[in-house]
Amino acid sequence: MLTELGDEGVQILAISPDTNERSQELAERLKARYRFLADRDLTVTQRYGLLHARGGDKGQDVPAPATIVLDREGIVRWLTVADNYQVRPDPTDVARAVRAIK
Amino acid sequence: MSKYGPALFSVALSIGAIVGYFSFLRVPFIRNHPPLYVAAFALAAAIAAVATVRAPRWPNLIALALSVALLGLGGYFNFVMARIPLGPPILRVGQPAPDFTLPDAKGTPVTLASFRGRTPVVVVFYRGYW
Repeated sequence: MLTELGDEGVQILAISPDTNERSQELAERLKARYRFLADRDLTVTQRYGLLHARGGDKGQDVPAPATIVLDREGIVRWLTVADNYQVRPDPTDVARAVRAIK
Repeated sequence: MSKYGPALFSVALSIGAIVGYFSFLRVPFIRNHPPLYVAAFALAAAIAAVATVRAPRWPNLIALALSVALLGLGGYFNFVMARIPLGPPILRVGQPAPDFTLPDAKGTPVTLASFRGRTPVVVVFYRGYW
């Protein structure tokens, strides 16, 4: 789903505390519109209010999984933040939110 | 056998909720509404409770014990253990997202504000391990 959105002129920025090797491979295979960014000290995660302290599998700080759709002015138009481990955003909801902007 | 029908139904509902949740985990509606299984356990417990009040015999008691135990465990897991504690929300629909500059996989800095006037942006935060 996200690769299709990248093709449609939408920029995807995927942020996590690490850029691991798998992200690196994926980034090279995908077009430039899909970038994996590293937020090593979780500064940006905190700026977004998404810090889940000690939530990682080894007790490390991690971001709460979240998807935010911004329009061309940088305004938040749709967002989903997981408040429960079990939940993941529905890709069709994200795609619908993006298409509503364009 | 039919006088223990409610007890059997209660047990079937409890087990069905567990099996159904894990079987249909790939279906977003099921996965994203885990309180559904808690609701199923609550319904199973209610049915077993009514049956037990009417006839406090061991099959009804077993059904009640099972459903109450699952309700307790499921409720605790879903509403306590699985919770992600976050501070006050910063992001709001209709507000600008905070700007940032972060390195991509090649080390090139990427600034969110650079996409203004160009394309919509989808920002995804994820844990980073698989």
